Amino acid sequence: MTLNSSRYILRETVNSMKRNPWLSIASVITVMVSLVILGFSIFFLANASNMAESFESELEIATFVKDNATSSQVDALRNQILEMPGVASVTLVTKEEALQDFGKTLGGTQSNLLADLGGRNPFPDKLTVKATDPKNVVALAEVVAALPEVDKVRYGQGFVDQLLKFTQWLRWIGFGVVAAFSVAAIVLISINVKMNVFSRRREIQIMKLVGASNGFIRWPFLIEGLALGLVGGAMAAGIVGMGYNSIAMYVLSKMTFLPVVQNDVLFRQVTFGLLFSGMAMGALGSGISLQKFLRA
Amino acid sequence: MIQLTNVSKIYPNGARALVDVNLKIGKGDFVFLVGPSGAGKSTLIRLLYREESPTRGQVQINSKNLVRMKEREVPYLRRNIGVIFQDFKLLPNKTVFENVAFALEVIGVVKREVRTRTRATLELVGLASKETSYPHELSGGEQQRVCVARAIINNPALLVADEPTGNLDPDTAWDIMDLLYNINKRGTTIVMATHAKSIVNKMQKRVIAIENGKVARDEEKGGYGYDT
Ligand SMILES: Nc1ncnc2c1ncn2[C@@H]1O[C@H](COP(=O)(O)OP(=O)(O)OP(=O)(O)O)[C@@H](O)[C@H]1O
Ligand SMILES: [Mg+2]
Repeated sequence: MTLNSSRYILRETVNSMKRNPWLSIASVITVMVSLVILGFSIFFLANASNMAESFESELEIATFVKDNATSSQVDALRNQILEMPGVASVTLVTKEEALQDFGKTLGGTQSNLLADLGGRNPFPDKLTVKATDPKNVVALAEVVAALPEVDKVRYGQGFVDQLLKFTQWLRWIGFGVVAAFSVAAIVLISINVKMNVFSRRREIQIMKLVGASNGFIRWPFLIEGLALGLVGGAMAAGIVGMGYNSIAMYVLSKMTFLPVVQNDVLFRQVTFGLLFSGMAMGALGSGISLQKFLRA
Repeated sequence: MIQLTNVSKIYPNGARALVDVNLKIGKGDFVFLVGPSGAGKSTLIRLLYREESPTRGQVQINSKNLVRMKEREVPYLRRNIGVIFQDFKLLPNKTVFENVAFALEVIGVVKREVRTRTRATLELVGLASKETSYPHELSGGEQQRVCVARAIINNPALLVADEPTGNLDPDTAWDIMDLLYNINKRGTTIVMATHAKSIVNKMQKRVIAIENGKVARDEEKGGYGYDT
Protein backbone atom coordinates (compact mmCIF):
# COMPACT_ATOMS: atom_id res chain seq x y z
CA MET A 1 0.00 0.00 0.00
CA THR A 2 1.66 3.21 -1.16
CA LEU A 3 1.36 6.57 0.57
CA ASN A 4 -0.69 7.69 -2.39
CA SER A 5 -3.23 4.92 -1.84
CA SER A 6 -3.49 5.65 1.88
CA ARG A 7 -4.25 9.27 1.15
CA TYR A 8 -6.98 8.23 -1.26
CA ILE A 9 -8.45 5.80 1.26
CA LEU A 10 -8.46 8.35 4.07
CA ARG A 11 -10.17 10.96 1.91
CA GLU A 12 -12.84 8.48 0.84
CA THR A 13 -13.48 7.40 4.43
CA VAL A 14 -14.14 10.96 5.54
CA ASN A 15 -16.36 11.60 2.50
CA SER A 16 -18.42 8.52 3.13
CA MET A 17 -19.10 9.49 6.73
CA LYS A 18 -20.31 12.88 5.58
CA ARG A 19 -22.64 11.18 3.14
CA ASN A 20 -24.79 9.38 5.74
CA PRO A 21 -24.30 11.36 8.94
CA TRP A 22 -27.42 10.10 10.76
CA LEU A 23 -26.73 6.49 10.06
CA SER A 24 -23.16 7.00 11.17
CA ILE A 25 -24.32 8.59 14.40
CA ALA A 26 -26.82 5.78 15.04
CA SER A 27 -24.10 3.19 14.48
CA VAL A 28 -21.70 4.95 16.81
CA ILE A 29 -24.35 5.26 19.52
CA THR A 30 -25.35 1.59 19.42
CA VAL A 31 -21.72 0.55 19.64
CA MET A 32 -21.36 2.94 22.53
CA VAL A 33 -24.45 1.73 24.41
CA SER A 34 -23.48 -1.91 24.10
CA LEU A 35 -19.96 -1.20 25.30
CA VAL A 36 -21.08 1.07 28.15
CA ILE A 37 -23.23 -1.78 29.44
CA LEU A 38 -20.34 -4.19 28.97
CA GLY A 39 -17.95 -1.89 30.80
CA PHE A 40 -20.23 -1.29 33.78
CA SER A 41 -21.07 -4.99 33.98
CA ILE A 42 -17.38 -5.82 34.18
CA PHE A 43 -16.85 -3.32 37.00
CA PHE A 44 -19.95 -4.49 38.83
CA LEU A 45 -18.86 -8.10 38.64
CA ALA A 46 -15.35 -7.23 39.76
CA ASN A 47 -16.86 -5.50 42.78
CA ALA A 48 -19.24 -8.34 43.56
CA SER A 49 -16.52 -10.95 43.55
CA ASN A 50 -14.27 -8.67 45.52
CA MET A 51 -17.03 -8.25 48.06
CA ALA A 52 -17.63 -11.97 48.25
CA GLU A 53 -13.95 -12.52 48.93
CA SER A 54 -13.76 -9.83 51.55
CA PHE A 55 -16.54 -11.45 53.57
CA GLU A 56 -15.59 -14.36 55.67
CA SER A 57 -15.19 -17.48 53.72
CA GLU A 58 -18.12 -19.80 53.75
CA LEU A 59 -16.11 -22.43 55.59
CA GLU A 60 -15.29 -20.28 58.60
CA ILE A 61 -17.11 -19.86 61.87
CA ALA A 62 -15.98 -16.94 64.00
CA THR A 63 -16.36 -18.06 67.61
CA PHE A 64 -16.29 -15.34 70.27
CA VAL A 65 -15.30 -16.50 73.75
CA LYS A 66 -17.00 -15.13 76.88
CA ASP A 67 -15.09 -12.29 78.48
CA ASN A 68 -14.52 -13.99 81.80
CA ALA A 69 -12.80 -17.09 80.37
CA THR A 70 -9.18 -17.60 81.40
CA SER A 71 -6.50 -18.31 78.88
CA SER A 72 -6.25 -21.95 79.95
CA GLN A 73 -10.01 -22.28 79.50
CA VAL A 74 -9.61 -20.83 76.02
CA ASP A 75 -6.91 -23.36 75.21
CA ALA A 76 -9.07 -26.19 76.49
CA LEU A 77 -11.99 -24.91 74.42
CA ARG A 78 -9.79 -24.77 71.39
CA ASN A 79 -8.71 -28.39 71.81
CA GLN A 80 -12.27 -29.47 72.45
CA ILE A 81 -13.49 -27.92 69.19
CA LEU A 82 -10.51 -29.24 67.29
CA GLU A 83 -11.56 -32.78 68.21
CA MET A 84 -15.11 -32.37 66.93
CA PRO A 85 -15.91 -34.18 63.67
CA GLY A 86 -15.86 -32.02 60.53
CA VAL A 87 -13.40 -29.47 61.92
CA ALA A 88 -10.34 -28.76 59.80
CA SER A 89 -8.54 -26.21 61.94
CA VAL A 90 -8.98 -23.77 64.77
CA THR A 91 -7.00 -20.55 64.97
CA LEU A 92 -6.91 -18.33 68.02
CA VAL A 93 -6.86 -14.55 67.85
CA THR A 94 -6.47 -13.28 71.40
CA LYS A 95 -8.13 -10.09 72.56
CA GLU A 96 -4.68 -8.44 72.75
CA GLU A 97 -3.94 -9.34 69.13
CA ALA A 98 -7.35 -8.13 68.07
CA LEU A 99 -6.71 -4.80 69.79
CA GLN A 100 -3.32 -4.48 68.10
CA ASP A 101 -4.84 -5.25 64.68
CA PHE A 102 -7.48 -2.65 65.28
CA GLY A 103 -4.80 -0.13 66.24
CA LYS A 104 -2.94 -0.90 63.01
CA THR A 105 -6.01 -0.27 60.89
CA LEU A 106 -6.39 3.08 62.60
CA GLY A 107 -2.75 3.95 62.03
CA GLY A 108 -0.92 6.56 64.09
CA THR A 109 0.20 5.99 67.66
CA GLN A 110 -1.35 3.04 69.41
CA SER A 111 0.48 3.16 72.75
CA ASN A 112 -2.39 4.85 74.49
CA LEU A 113 -5.18 3.14 72.58
CA LEU A 114 -6.15 1.05 75.59
CA ALA A 115 -6.29 4.17 77.74
CA ASP A 116 -8.41 5.92 75.14
CA LEU A 117 -10.85 3.06 75.30
CA GLY A 118 -11.25 3.59 79.05
CA GLY A 119 -8.72 0.95 80.11
CA ARG A 120 -10.97 -1.84 78.94
CA ASN A 121 -10.24 -4.00 75.89
CA PRO A 122 -13.58 -4.29 74.02
CA PHE A 123 -12.41 -7.24 71.90
CA PRO A 124 -13.16 -10.80 72.94
CA ASP A 125 -10.88 -13.75 72.25
CA LYS A 126 -11.79 -15.18 68.90
CA LEU A 127 -11.45 -18.74 67.62
CA THR A 128 -11.71 -19.10 63.89
CA VAL A 129 -13.09 -22.56 63.24
CA LYS A 130 -12.64 -23.91 59.76
CA ALA A 131 -15.02 -26.67 58.67
CA THR A 132 -13.98 -29.41 56.25
CA ASP A 133 -17.23 -29.09 54.28
CA PRO A 134 -19.47 -26.05 53.75
CA LYS A 135 -22.52 -28.26 54.31
CA ASN A 136 -21.47 -28.90 57.92
CA VAL A 137 -21.04 -25.25 58.76
CA VAL A 138 -24.54 -24.60 60.12
CA ALA A 139 -24.69 -27.73 62.31
CA LEU A 140 -21.16 -27.20 63.55
CA ALA A 141 -21.89 -23.55 64.37
CA GLU A 142 -24.90 -24.60 66.47
CA VAL A 143 -22.87 -27.13 68.45
CA VAL A 144 -20.07 -24.64 69.06
CA ALA A 145 -22.53 -21.90 70.07
CA ALA A 146 -24.00 -24.22 72.73
CA LEU A 147 -20.65 -24.63 74.52
CA PRO A 148 -20.68 -22.84 77.92
CA GLU A 149 -17.54 -20.73 77.33
CA VAL A 150 -18.80 -19.46 74.00
CA ASP A 151 -20.51 -16.08 73.92
CA LYS A 152 -21.70 -16.11 70.30
CA VAL A 153 -20.75 -17.36 66.84
CA ARG A 154 -20.88 -15.70 63.46
CA TYR A 155 -20.72 -17.41 60.07
CA GLY A 156 -21.59 -16.82 56.45
CA GLN A 157 -25.25 -17.82 56.86
CA GLY A 158 -25.41 -18.38 53.13
CA PHE A 159 -24.81 -14.73 52.33
CA VAL A 160 -21.72 -15.38 50.29
CA ASP A 161 -23.49 -18.18 48.53
CA GLN A 162 -26.37 -15.87 47.65
CA LEU A 163 -24.04 -13.15 46.47
CA LEU A 164 -22.24 -15.57 44.18
CA LYS A 165 -25.53 -16.88 42.84
CA PHE A 166 -26.65 -13.33 42.20
CA THR A 167 -23.46 -12.44 40.35
CA GLN A 168 -23.88 -15.59 38.29
CA TRP A 169 -27.33 -14.43 37.27
CA LEU A 170 -26.10 -10.97 36.60
CA ARG A 171 -23.33 -12.35 34.45
CA TRP A 172 -25.85 -14.09 32.20
CA ILE A 173 -28.21 -11.13 32.01
CA GLY A 174 -25.31 -8.78 31.31
CA PHE A 175 -23.99 -11.15 28.68
CA GLY A 176 -27.42 -11.31 27.04
CA VAL A 177 -27.94 -7.56 26.98
CA VAL A 178 -24.42 -6.90 25.68
CA ALA A 179 -24.83 -9.58 23.02
CA ALA A 180 -28.15 -8.10 21.85
CA PHE A 181 -26.73 -4.61 21.60
CA SER A 182 -23.58 -5.86 19.89
CA VAL A 183 -25.63 -7.60 17.24
CA ALA A 184 -27.64 -4.41 16.73
CA ALA A 185 -24.42 -2.40 16.46
CA ILE A 186 -22.91 -4.80 13.95
CA VAL A 187 -26.08 -4.81 11.86
CA LEU A 188 -26.22 -1.00 11.87
CA ILE A 189 -22.59 -0.72 10.83
CA SER A 190 -23.12 -3.23 8.07
CA ILE A 191 -26.17 -1.29 6.83
CA ASN A 192 -24.06 1.84 6.97
CA VAL A 193 -21.30 0.30 4.89
CA LYS A 194 -23.77 -1.33 2.51
CA MET A 195 -25.54 1.97 1.85
CA ASN A 196 -22.20 3.49 1.20
CA VAL A 197 -21.24 0.76 -1.23
CA PHE A 198 -24.59 1.34 -2.91
CA SER A 199 -24.22 5.10 -3.20
CA ARG A 200 -20.77 4.57 -4.68
CA ARG A 201 -21.63 1.69 -7.00
CA ARG A 202 -20.81 3.77 -10.08
CA GLU A 203 -17.41 4.61 -8.75
CA ILE A 204 -16.81 1.00 -7.76
CA GLN A 205 -17.83 -0.18 -11.21
CA ILE A 206 -15.31 2.15 -12.80
CA MET A 207 -12.65 1.19 -10.28
CA LYS A 208 -13.12 -2.46 -11.20
CA LEU A 209 -13.09 -1.59 -14.87
CA VAL A 210 -9.74 0.18 -14.76
CA GLY A 211 -8.24 -2.67 -12.75
CA ALA A 212 -8.32 -1.63 -9.10
CA SER A 213 -7.82 -4.70 -6.94
CA ASN A 214 -10.66 -5.84 -4.71
CA GLY A 215 -8.45 -5.17 -1.72
CA PHE A 216 -8.01 -1.56 -2.76
CA ILE A 217 -11.73 -1.08 -3.38
CA ARG A 218 -12.57 -2.61 0.01
CA TRP A 219 -10.20 -0.57 2.15
CA PRO A 220 -12.22 2.65 2.51
CA PHE A 221 -15.31 0.66 3.51
CA LEU A 222 -13.41 -1.46 5.97
CA ILE A 223 -11.81 1.60 7.50
CA GLU A 224 -15.19 3.29 7.69
CA GLY A 225 -16.56 0.38 9.73
CA LEU A 226 -13.47 0.32 11.93
CA ALA A 227 -13.67 4.06 12.51
CA LEU A 228 -17.36 3.92 13.47
CA GLY A 229 -16.63 1.11 15.92
CA LEU A 230 -13.57 2.81 17.32
CA VAL A 231 -15.40 6.10 17.93
CA GLY A 232 -18.21 4.21 19.70
CA GLY A 233 -15.64 2.29 21.75
CA ALA A 234 -13.75 5.44 22.72
CA MET A 235 -16.94 7.15 23.83
CA ALA A 236 -17.93 4.10 25.86
CA ALA A 237 -14.49 3.94 27.48
CA GLY A 238 -14.78 7.60 28.44
CA ILE A 239 -18.29 7.24 29.87
CA VAL A 240 -17.49 4.03 31.76
CA GLY A 241 -14.20 5.40 33.09
CA MET A 242 -15.61 8.70 34.35
CA GLY A 243 -18.92 7.19 35.44
CA TYR A 244 -17.29 4.44 37.46
CA ASN A 245 -14.89 6.86 39.08
CA SER A 246 -17.63 9.18 40.26
CA ILE A 247 -19.79 6.27 41.49
CA ALA A 248 -16.79 4.85 43.35
CA MET A 249 -16.10 8.24 44.92
CA TYR A 250 -19.69 8.57 46.02
CA VAL A 251 -19.86 5.07 47.50
CA LEU A 252 -16.53 5.56 49.27
CA SER A 253 -17.71 8.80 50.83
CA LYS A 254 -21.15 7.51 51.89
CA MET A 255 -20.53 3.88 52.72
CA THR A 256 -16.94 3.65 53.85
CA PHE A 257 -17.26 0.03 54.92
CA LEU A 258 -17.91 -1.20 51.38
CA PRO A 259 -14.86 -2.51 49.59
CA VAL A 260 -14.78 -0.68 46.22
CA VAL A 261 -12.43 -1.90 43.51
CA GLN A 262 -10.03 0.79 42.37
CA ASN A 263 -7.58 -1.12 40.31
CA ASP A 264 -5.49 0.69 37.69
CA VAL A 265 -4.68 -2.50 35.85
CA LEU A 266 -8.36 -3.43 35.59
CA PHE A 267 -9.11 0.11 34.48
CA ARG A 268 -6.61 -0.05 31.68
CA GLN A 269 -7.74 -3.50 30.63
CA VAL A 270 -11.37 -2.39 30.44
CA THR A 271 -10.46 0.74 28.45
CA PHE A 272 -8.43 -1.19 25.88
CA GLY A 273 -11.01 -3.94 25.91
CA LEU A 274 -13.79 -1.51 25.00
CA LEU A 275 -11.73 0.16 22.26
CA PHE A 276 -10.81 -3.21 20.84
CA SER A 277 -14.40 -4.52 21.03
CA GLY A 278 -15.60 -1.40 19.19
CA MET A 279 -13.13 -1.99 16.39
CA ALA A 280 -14.05 -5.66 16.27
CA MET A 281 -17.73 -4.75 15.87
CA GLY A 282 -16.79 -2.33 13.10
CA ALA A 283 -14.66 -4.88 11.30
CA LEU A 284 -17.40 -7.49 11.60
CA GLY A 285 -20.08 -5.08 10.39
CA SER A 286 -18.19 -4.01 7.30
CA GLY A 287 -16.96 -7.56 6.76
CA ILE A 288 -20.54 -8.78 6.55
CA SER A 289 -21.59 -6.25 3.96
CA LEU A 290 -18.40 -6.59 1.94
CA GLN A 291 -18.56 -10.36 1.86
CA LYS A 292 -20.48 -10.49 -1.39
CA PHE A 293 -18.15 -8.01 -2.93
CA LEU A 294 -15.07 -9.99 -1.90
CA ARG A 295 -16.18 -12.64 -4.35
CA ALA A 296 -17.49 -10.58 -7.24
CA MET B 1 -3.94 -11.65 -29.59
CA ILE B 2 -7.60 -12.56 -29.00
CA GLN B 3 -8.89 -16.05 -29.52
CA LEU B 4 -12.38 -17.37 -28.87
CA THR B 5 -12.80 -21.12 -29.12
CA ASN B 6 -16.29 -22.68 -29.27
CA VAL B 7 -17.64 -19.93 -27.05
CA SER B 8 -21.28 -20.09 -25.95
CA LYS B 9 -22.94 -17.77 -23.49
CA ILE B 10 -26.31 -18.57 -21.97
CA TYR B 11 -27.49 -16.05 -19.36
CA PRO B 12 -29.08 -17.35 -16.15
CA ASN B 13 -32.50 -16.36 -17.52
CA GLY B 14 -31.95 -18.73 -20.44
CA ALA B 15 -31.12 -16.14 -23.13
CA ARG B 16 -28.68 -17.66 -25.61
CA ALA B 17 -26.52 -14.64 -26.39
CA LEU B 18 -23.62 -16.44 -28.10
CA VAL B 19 -23.61 -19.88 -29.75
CA ASP B 20 -20.38 -21.69 -30.54
CA VAL B 21 -18.36 -18.67 -31.63
CA ASN B 22 -14.83 -19.08 -33.01
CA LEU B 23 -12.76 -15.95 -33.60
CA LYS B 24 -9.18 -14.81 -33.94
CA ILE B 25 -8.12 -11.18 -33.76
CA GLY B 26 -4.49 -10.24 -34.31
CA LYS B 27 -2.36 -7.69 -32.53
CA GLY B 28 -2.90 -4.17 -33.86
CA ASP B 29 -6.15 -5.08 -35.67
CA PHE B 30 -9.12 -2.74 -35.91
CA VAL B 31 -12.34 -4.77 -35.83
CA PHE B 32 -15.97 -3.71 -36.11
CA LEU B 33 -18.65 -5.91 -34.57
CA VAL B 34 -21.93 -5.36 -36.38
CA GLY B 35 -25.30 -7.04 -36.37
CA PRO B 36 -28.91 -6.54 -35.37
CA SER B 37 -30.00 -5.57 -31.90
CA GLY B 38 -29.83 -8.48 -29.46
CA ALA B 39 -27.37 -10.38 -31.68
CA GLY B 40 -24.78 -10.71 -28.91
CA LYS B 41 -22.25 -7.95 -29.67
CA SER B 42 -22.21 -6.46 -26.19
CA THR B 43 -22.00 -9.93 -24.69
CA LEU B 44 -18.92 -10.68 -26.79
CA ILE B 45 -17.31 -7.40 -25.72
CA ARG B 46 -18.01 -8.15 -22.06
CA LEU B 47 -16.30 -11.52 -22.36
CA LEU B 48 -13.11 -9.76 -23.45
CA TYR B 49 -12.62 -7.82 -20.22
CA ARG B 50 -14.14 -10.62 -18.16
CA GLU B 51 -17.22 -8.77 -17.07
CA GLU B 52 -18.87 -12.05 -18.06
CA SER B 53 -17.51 -15.57 -18.42
CA PRO B 54 -18.62 -17.94 -21.19
CA THR B 55 -20.93 -20.84 -20.35
CA ARG B 56 -18.82 -23.05 -22.62
CA GLY B 57 -15.60 -22.62 -24.57
CA GLN B 58 -12.40 -20.68 -24.01
CA VAL B 59 -11.45 -17.01 -24.27
CA GLN B 60 -7.78 -16.20 -24.60
CA ILE B 61 -6.09 -12.81 -24.65
CA ASN B 62 -2.33 -12.70 -25.19
CA SER B 63 -2.36 -16.46 -24.57
CA LYS B 64 -3.89 -15.88 -21.11
CA ASN B 65 -6.95 -18.03 -20.53
CA LEU B 66 -9.71 -15.81 -19.12
CA VAL B 67 -11.91 -18.72 -18.14
CA ARG B 68 -9.32 -20.39 -15.94
CA MET B 69 -8.04 -17.08 -14.62
CA LYS B 70 -8.25 -16.63 -10.84
CA GLU B 71 -10.44 -13.85 -9.48
CA ARG B 72 -7.50 -11.94 -8.07
CA GLU B 73 -5.74 -11.87 -11.46
CA VAL B 74 -8.67 -10.10 -13.14
CA PRO B 75 -7.64 -6.56 -12.08
CA TYR B 76 -4.25 -7.07 -13.71
CA LEU B 77 -5.92 -8.24 -16.93
CA ARG B 78 -8.06 -5.10 -16.93
CA ARG B 79 -5.11 -2.80 -16.48
CA ASN B 80 -4.12 -3.93 -19.94
CA ILE B 81 -7.57 -3.41 -21.52
CA GLY B 82 -9.26 -0.05 -22.03
CA VAL B 83 -13.08 0.05 -22.12
CA ILE B 84 -15.25 2.74 -23.73
CA PHE B 85 -19.02 2.95 -23.31
CA GLN B 86 -21.93 4.51 -25.10
CA ASP B 87 -22.93 6.31 -21.86
CA PHE B 88 -19.33 7.38 -21.02
CA LYS B 89 -19.58 6.29 -17.34
CA LEU B 90 -17.90 9.39 -15.94
CA LEU B 91 -18.10 10.36 -12.27
CA PRO B 92 -20.31 13.49 -12.14
CA ASN B 93 -18.71 14.97 -9.02
CA LYS B 94 -15.17 14.77 -10.34
CA THR B 95 -13.51 17.11 -12.83
CA VAL B 96 -12.23 15.98 -16.21
CA PHE B 97 -8.73 15.77 -14.78
CA GLU B 98 -9.90 13.78 -11.74
CA ASN B 99 -11.96 11.40 -13.84
CA VAL B 100 -8.96 10.50 -15.96
CA ALA B 101 -6.49 10.49 -13.08
CA PHE B 102 -8.85 8.18 -11.17
CA ALA B 103 -7.81 5.26 -13.42
CA LEU B 104 -4.22 5.67 -12.23
CA GLU B 105 -4.96 6.58 -8.62
CA VAL B 106 -6.91 3.43 -7.92
CA ILE B 107 -4.12 1.19 -9.15
CA GLY B 108 -1.67 2.93 -6.83
CA VAL B 109 0.39 5.06 -9.25
CA VAL B 110 2.38 7.77 -7.44
CA LYS B 111 0.93 11.25 -7.44
CA ARG B 112 3.60 12.89 -9.55
CA GLU B 113 3.29 10.33 -12.28
CA VAL B 114 -0.51 10.58 -12.16
CA ARG B 115 -0.25 14.30 -12.86
CA THR B 116 2.15 14.11 -15.80
CA ARG B 117 0.44 11.15 -17.45
CA THR B 118 -3.04 12.62 -17.05
CA ARG B 119 -1.89 15.94 -18.61
CA ALA B 120 -0.27 14.10 -21.52
CA THR B 121 -3.36 11.97 -22.18
CA LEU B 122 -5.74 14.94 -22.03
CA GLU B 123 -3.45 16.66 -24.53
CA LEU B 124 -3.71 13.64 -26.81
CA VAL B 125 -7.53 13.65 -26.82
CA GLY B 126 -7.60 17.44 -27.21
CA LEU B 127 -9.07 18.30 -23.81
CA ALA B 128 -6.12 20.00 -22.12
CA SER B 129 -8.08 23.24 -21.77
CA LYS B 130 -11.05 21.53 -20.10
CA GLU B 131 -9.29 19.74 -17.29
CA THR B 132 -11.07 21.66 -14.50
CA SER B 133 -14.55 21.29 -16.04
CA TYR B 134 -17.14 18.87 -14.71
CA PRO B 135 -18.79 16.30 -17.03
CA HIS B 136 -22.12 18.18 -17.10
CA GLU B 137 -20.29 21.22 -18.46
CA LEU B 138 -19.07 19.28 -21.51
CA SER B 139 -20.65 18.32 -24.84
CA GLY B 140 -21.32 14.66 -25.58
CA GLY B 141 -18.27 14.39 -27.80
CA GLU B 142 -16.07 15.95 -25.14
CA GLN B 143 -17.43 13.56 -22.51
CA GLN B 144 -16.68 10.63 -24.78
CA ARG B 145 -13.14 11.91 -25.24
CA VAL B 146 -12.75 11.94 -21.46
CA CYS B 147 -13.88 8.34 -21.44
CA VAL B 148 -11.36 7.51 -24.19
CA ALA B 149 -8.62 9.27 -22.24
CA ARG B 150 -9.43 7.21 -19.15
CA ALA B 151 -9.43 4.03 -21.22
CA ILE B 152 -6.04 4.61 -22.84
CA ILE B 153 -4.12 6.24 -20.00
CA ASN B 154 -2.63 2.91 -18.96
CA ASN B 155 -1.37 2.25 -22.51
CA PRO B 156 -3.53 -0.85 -22.88
CA ALA B 157 -2.72 -3.33 -25.62
CA LEU B 158 -6.44 -3.72 -26.27
CA LEU B 159 -9.21 -1.13 -26.46
CA VAL B 160 -12.80 -2.34 -26.54
CA ALA B 161 -15.69 -0.01 -27.31
CA ASP B 162 -19.43 -0.73 -27.13
CA GLU B 163 -21.22 1.74 -29.43
CA PRO B 164 -18.85 4.60 -28.55
CA THR B 165 -20.59 6.92 -31.01
CA GLY B 166 -24.13 5.79 -30.22
CA ASN B 167 -25.07 9.01 -28.42
CA LEU B 168 -23.19 11.43 -30.70
CA ASP B 169 -24.11 13.39 -33.79
CA PRO B 170 -22.29 12.39 -37.02
CA ASP B 171 -19.60 15.11 -36.90
CA THR B 172 -18.77 14.44 -33.27
CA ALA B 173 -18.80 10.72 -33.97
CA TRP B 174 -16.15 11.24 -36.62
CA ASP B 175 -13.99 13.15 -34.14
CA ILE B 176 -14.04 10.11 -31.89
CA MET B 177 -13.30 7.80 -34.81
CA ASP B 178 -10.28 9.93 -35.74
CA LEU B 179 -9.07 9.54 -32.20
CA LEU B 180 -9.54 5.76 -32.24
CA TYR B 181 -7.90 5.58 -35.66
CA ASN B 182 -4.81 7.33 -34.30
CA ILE B 183 -4.73 5.17 -31.20
CA ASN B 184 -4.89 2.08 -33.42
CA LYS B 185 -2.05 3.50 -35.53
CA ARG B 186 0.13 3.48 -32.43
CA GLY B 187 -0.35 -0.28 -32.15
CA THR B 188 -3.39 -0.67 -29.93
CA THR B 189 -5.82 -3.41 -30.95
CA ILE B 190 -9.38 -2.09 -31.16
CA VAL B 191 -12.65 -4.03 -31.05
CA MET B 192 -15.70 -1.85 -31.54
CA ALA B 193 -19.38 -2.82 -31.55
CA THR B 194 -21.45 -0.37 -33.58
CA HIS B 195 -24.58 0.32 -35.57
CA ALA B 196 -22.97 3.28 -37.38
CA LYS B 197 -23.23 2.20 -41.01
CA SER B 198 -21.43 5.13 -42.58
CA ILE B 199 -18.48 4.82 -40.23
CA VAL B 200 -18.04 1.11 -40.89
CA ASN B 201 -18.34 1.57 -44.64
CA LYS B 202 -15.90 4.44 -44.78
CA MET B 203 -13.20 3.05 -42.47
CA GLN B 204 -12.71 -0.13 -44.52
CA LYS B 205 -11.59 -2.25 -41.61
CA ARG B 206 -12.28 -5.86 -40.69
CA VAL B 207 -16.00 -6.41 -40.07
CA ILE B 208 -17.43 -9.30 -38.06
CA ALA B 209 -21.20 -9.61 -38.28
CA ILE B 210 -23.00 -11.41 -35.45
CA GLU B 211 -26.52 -12.73 -35.90
CA ASN B 212 -28.44 -14.74 -33.32
CA GLY B 213 -25.27 -15.29 -31.36
CA LYS B 214 -23.30 -16.69 -34.29
CA VAL B 215 -20.63 -15.25 -36.58
CA ALA B 216 -22.55 -14.65 -39.81
CA ARG B 217 -19.83 -12.89 -41.78
CA ASP B 218 -16.18 -12.02 -41.28
CA GLU B 219 -14.38 -9.96 -43.93
CA GLU B 220 -11.26 -7.84 -44.18
CA LYS B 221 -11.95 -4.26 -45.37
CA GLY B 222 -15.66 -4.99 -45.10
CA GLY B 223 -18.79 -2.90 -45.12
CA TYR B 224 -21.71 -2.61 -42.72
CA GLY B 225 -23.88 -4.83 -44.90
CA TYR B 226 -27.28 -4.07 -43.41
CA ASP B 227 -29.76 -1.60 -44.84
CA THR B 228 -31.31 -0.23 -41.68
N1 LIG C 1 -27.26 -9.39 -18.36
C1 LIG C 1 -28.09 -10.11 -19.14
N2 LIG C 1 -28.92 -11.01 -18.58
C2 LIG C 1 -29.73 -11.75 -19.35
N3 LIG C 1 -29.81 -11.68 -20.66
C3 LIG C 1 -29.01 -10.79 -21.29
C4 LIG C 1 -28.12 -9.96 -20.56
N4 LIG C 1 -27.44 -9.19 -21.43
C5 LIG C 1 -27.91 -9.51 -22.64
N5 LIG C 1 -28.85 -10.48 -22.58
C6 LIG C 1 -29.53 -11.11 -23.70
O1 LIG C 1 -28.55 -11.66 -24.57
C7 LIG C 1 -28.85 -11.40 -25.91
C8 LIG C 1 -27.70 -10.62 -26.55
O2 LIG C 1 -27.66 -9.32 -25.96
P1 LIG C 1 -26.51 -8.27 -26.29
O3 LIG C 1 -26.67 -7.15 -25.35
O4 LIG C 1 -25.21 -8.97 -26.31
O5 LIG C 1 -26.93 -7.82 -27.75
P2 LIG C 1 -26.32 -6.66 -28.65
O6 LIG C 1 -25.87 -7.29 -29.90
O7 LIG C 1 -25.32 -5.88 -27.90
O8 LIG C 1 -27.58 -5.76 -28.93
P3 LIG C 1 -27.65 -4.15 -29.17
O9 LIG C 1 -27.20 -3.89 -30.54
O10 LIG C 1 -29.10 -3.83 -29.02
O11 LIG C 1 -26.78 -3.51 -28.13
C9 LIG C 1 -30.16 -10.66 -25.91
O12 LIG C 1 -31.18 -11.62 -26.16
C10 LIG C 1 -30.30 -10.10 -24.54
O13 LIG C 1 -31.64 -10.04 -24.15
MG1 LIG D 1 -25.18 -3.90 -27.15
